[in-house]
Amino acid sequence: MPSPDPAELLAENERLRDRLEAAEREAADSARQLELYAADLRETFKSERERAQQLSRSYTATVRALSNAVEARDAYTGKHAERVTRYAIEIGRELGLPRADAPEIEFGFLLHDVGKLAVPDSILFKPGPLTVEERALMSRHTIVGAEIIRDIEFLAEASQVVRSHHERWDGSGYPDGLAGEEIPLPARVFAVADVFDALTTNRPYRAALSFAQAHEMIVAESGKHFDPDVVAAFERIGDEVLRRIADEAAA
Amino acid sequence: MRRELLVVDDDPFIRRLITTTLEDVAQFELLEACDGNEALALAERHRPQIVLLDVDIPGIDGIEVCRALRSDERTSEATVVMLTAAHGDEIEARAGAAGADLFLTKPFSPLDLLRLLDGLSEPPESAPS
Repeated sequence: MPSPDPAELLAENERLRDRLEAAEREAADSARQLELYAADLRETFKSERERAQQLSRSYTATVRALSNAVEARDAYTGKHAERVTRYAIEIGRELGLPRADAPEIEFGFLLHDVGKLAVPDSILFKPGPLTVEERALMSRHTIVGAEIIRDIEFLAEASQVVRSHHERWDGSGYPDGLAGEEIPLPARVFAVADVFDALTTNRPYRAALSFAQAHEMIVAESGKHFDPDVVAAFERIGDEVLRRIADEAAA
Repeated sequence: MRRELLVVDDDPFIRRLITTTLEDVAQFELLEACDGNEALALAERHRPQIVLLDVDIPGIDGIEVCRALRSDERTSEATVVMLTAAHGDEIEARAGAAGADLFLTKPFSPLDLLRLLDGLSEPPESAPS
């Protein structure tokens, strides 16, 4: 075998180096291209996230406006919606309600009485007891409320609370006479918060009860008006937590 | 608050791709390490909140790094996201036992990575009011 020509070898070496350099350049170009994809993706992701946050802020602002509209009508209940929402979130958390503080759940709490917009002043503010007809009209606020928000997609979960917050565990509530676990869990949670707030605030027909008295009344209704598990969760929350919520809502 | 995220992979291109993907997204300070020793040294010094950790790195492997992070009180709170090869069920089991929190299979979707970190970096209890 003839020994290789050194010039030939050098030339081959040169060709190989050129090819290696070309391959490296190509690889670097591909890497830069991929990095550009990654960077674009990142920017898209960021702006999508920003829009989602904006949307979520608009939802919240809209729901609060609607909730305030309900509140504004009845000066007596003050910040009822705000307080009761925070009580309910607290109870939901204690109970382990999935996504207890998710906006979809909170919206239902805030809007629970939106149907009262359709209840005439003469009934809503009547100082004496309601007649049978008036009571029937009043109790329609649950159905009317659910109707009002029916077509609002982001309030689909909220409408469970709006419609079912006056149902009772023993089936004697309204509007559908649901019993036990037929009642959506957020509505069962809310019912306790709602009654607790009603008992512990002044009303035209009676002064506010103490927290201890209200607790007693709620416990007495466990398994009748209220889901026993929800009452148990409510009992685990200290009065100081509830007191803080009440004070903060008033501030 | 600015938090730190440590990327550990011996492939410089993968590191570059990850840092390019994550830059500015969640206000993370990005740190990079190419092997286990460097990873541990950086982790001790900076106490990153999140560690993206490739299993297959030279020197101390990813699983051992994870174990070491967990056993050191300065780094035990970090969220460890393990980068594993596809079909690495056995590896995942070992990494899980070593204390890894989450897994991402290579090749990973950059969007999955973004979403995963976005979920982790959500500042708790500070919804816009």
